[in-house]
Amino acid sequence: MTPTVCSGLDRVEAEAQGRDLRGPCPAPSRPDPQLGPASPFAPAGLINGPCATRAQSGSAAAQLAWALPPSRLSALLTVGPPPMEEEQTYLELYLDQCAAQDDLAPPGSPLLSPIVPDDGYIPNTSNSETVFNSHLQEVKGASGHFSSVDLSFLPDELTQESKDQSVIRSKQDIEENCKTQSQQSRLSLPREQDMGLGLINDSTLSKSHSQAYPGDADSVQPSPEKPNSTPLMSITPMTPVTPVSECSGIVPQLQNIVSTVNLACKLDLKKIALHAKNAEYNPKRFAAVIMRIREPRTTALIFSSGKMVCTGAKSEEQSRLAARKYARVVQKLGFPARFLDFKIQNMVGSCDVRFPIRLEGLVLTHQQFSSYEPELFPGLIYRMVKPRIVLLIFVSGKVVLTGAKERSEIYEAFENIYPILKGFKKA
Amino acid sequence: MPGGGQCPDCGSTELVEDSHYSQSQLVCSDCGCVVTEGVLTTTFSDEGNLREVTYSRSTGENDQVSRSQQRGLRRVRDLCRVLQLPSTFEDTAVAYYQQAYRHSGIRAARLQKKEVLVGCCVLITCRQHNWPLTMGTVCALLYADLDVFSGTYMQIVKLLGLDVPSLCLADLVKTYCSSFRLFQASPSVPAKYVEDKEKMLSRTLQLVELADETWLVTGRHPLPVITAATFLAWQSLQPSHRLTCSLARFCKLANVDLPYPASSRLQELLSVLLRMAERLAWLQVLKLDKRSVVKHIGDLLQHRHTLVRKAFRDGTAEMEAGEKELRGRCQGPEQGKEEVASSSLDLPEGKRPASPTPLLPPCMLKPPKRICPPPPVSTVTGDENISDSEIEQYLRTPQEIKDFEKAQAARQAARSVSNPP
Repeated sequence: MTPTVCSGLDRVEAEAQGRDLRGPCPAPSRPDPQLGPASPFAPAGLINGPCATRAQSGSAAAQLAWALPPSRLSALLTVGPPPMEEEQTYLELYLDQCAAQDDLAPPGSPLLSPIVPDDGYIPNTSNSETVFNSHLQEVKGASGHFSSVDLSFLPDELTQESKDQSVIRSKQDIEENCKTQSQQSRLSLPREQDMGLGLINDSTLSKSHSQAYPGDADSVQPSPEKPNSTPLMSITPMTPVTPVSECSGIVPQLQNIVSTVNLACKLDLKKIALHAKNAEYNPKRFAAVIMRIREPRTTALIFSSGKMVCTGAKSEEQSRLAARKYARVVQKLGFPARFLDFKIQNMVGSCDVRFPIRLEGLVLTHQQFSSYEPELFPGLIYRMVKPRIVLLIFVSGKVVLTGAKERSEIYEAFENIYPILKGFKKA
Repeated sequence: MPGGGQCPDCGSTELVEDSHYSQSQLVCSDCGCVVTEGVLTTTFSDEGNLREVTYSRSTGENDQVSRSQQRGLRRVRDLCRVLQLPSTFEDTAVAYYQQAYRHSGIRAARLQKKEVLVGCCVLITCRQHNWPLTMGTVCALLYADLDVFSGTYMQIVKLLGLDVPSLCLADLVKTYCSSFRLFQASPSVPAKYVEDKEKMLSRTLQLVELADETWLVTGRHPLPVITAATFLAWQSLQPSHRLTCSLARFCKLANVDLPYPASSRLQELLSVLLRMAERLAWLQVLKLDKRSVVKHIGDLLQHRHTLVRKAFRDGTAEMEAGEKELRGRCQGPEQGKEEVASSSLDLPEGKRPASPTPLLPPCMLKPPKRICPPPPVSTVTGDENISDSEIEQYLRTPQEIKDFEKAQAARQAARSVSNPP
């Protein structure tokens, strides 16, 4: 969906004022202080001016009613908080009717992932929301002209706060539908929604708009001004735009975690191999003791320098517990082992998208990231740049993700690849 | 070279032994003054002992290049000539080899790797010009291991940052089919087995396209599919005489190696053809099996597009039915329409022998080997207390240590006895 809304409204406004509109949507020249709080473009197609200025807007409402064709107006005057897909169809209806060529700026940079640190999992749906909201922002940008619009004819539900809540509620419904299997809490989402909406005001898409609408700092956390997408991003589809309703609903399972820890003492590997039941040591083959424990089921390579590698755990906590157990075994054998610099080096996850994938097509469209050599390996090797993860994609739809240092990177990488794979679903 | 004389002009000692074409000269490297020079012309009696020097050796261009690099470049040229590649390919491959050699990792690599690098450069050149050369061919010519080859190939593509297009299947079919020795009668090939090249090529191409459409090619080595398709094409052109010939015998006749997966590809292709035959009106009554369907391959290929559409429903439709439950009404109206359309196709069929099977790769059609239950949600925090007893279970008791040491000593003694020095 292109941000055509602004130009459409400008045209409307131009018609209203008898002005001719050419070229890209011009930045509104007069800074409008009346445009205060974040007014999200109601997905149902309604324009919410700031509540404070309702009184003055009778004439503008009349203009609005007059300027827009009746079908558009009826779309705008939808009542009630409809579910997300209906909102979207109304929006699409509206956008389709606004035929415009210009593009102010590429829709909000996909880097606009809101700052949600708690879960450590930033779903990519946030990107789609910000894009979605960026369309709203276009409207809001132009709707500055309608600051004097009297929207008292609209039912109460369509006030800003309830709109937020209804949007959030509907989003939560969608999320629940999408993420029935998800283990991550999605409570972060409404916050992201708020932030996304707030971001409309703060980090606007075009600089001119940012000057015109200083935004409102009180309702929104200060967010960094994200510049327009880098040239690389605009060329290559690294983080594709997806509407919220197409979240994948699949969560990659972690299969293996590799971690290292420093025991900080020199070790006598022969003594360890002699005194420990679960150790094997073959110096001619490999210069480390291979030790295994049953719970959590892991394997460790213990080197004489005191460094240790722990593999086979299925979660970060299990890996840490296992590493501590190995350190305890070494301690019990009489060495002054400590537990320094525990670090997760690699995480491997896997999942199944449950539809076949045309690998030859994928390698054609994403040549700069993919490597597919059926003579060597049946899967396609996709090297994602952001986050820096390597994915092995197979024809059966199974995907293996590796190279992550954080769990969130795996989830983010999968959310990035899922829309690309869906594009190759129907051969 | 220092240590010699002095230049009469500038007095420097930096004299270099350099040859100007066939005349050896001692030149000052500072001012370029020729200090001494050999004889330019030779007498008739002298010439009898001379040998001609190639241009590349006379120009001194190879003095900068190390001997192993020279050897590698020669190997690249030889390989291009053996494969009868156009001359432009040779230059490109040589350029790639030189480019690779600039990296220190390649310069320091083992000779085996440098040998394999020759093959990689030639392969990349061929791929970029859509010349169908398989890795198997290159490895066979270089007597190289495919594992070593694959490692070097992936490394060099990444190192040089090259864009290597995929193997062109149609060209590979043409080249590979042309190598079958079936187009002329010979003592080993009876007259009934001889086939016209064009007919066989076109039918093989159609069969390979069919295999590609029905997910038999993605993710698999291309060559066995082409072998199976060639065999089926050959059989179907004169089924009465050729049905008795097996795949192995066919490859032996044609003087082509039989790749191991070809027989399973053949079975897969035959089952696809059988399912298509179920949709063809005049074949439904015949109750075909995998041998008799070969006779009708011509008809099946003629109507392959319609038959594939009718015989296979979209494999993804089934998946989406399941997905829909998960997502509610996220998808919108398109899915519903799709389901209706596919079911409406079924209605006019009347009585069909079987419901359309999903169009999926064979790996998805097989039942899963083992159902992996989702791992139980573990509540490990990583900071729990570790009980001593748990650690003790991994340690040997002193008695066990003594026993173990005794056993080890005994084993060492036994070994030294059995292997007298």
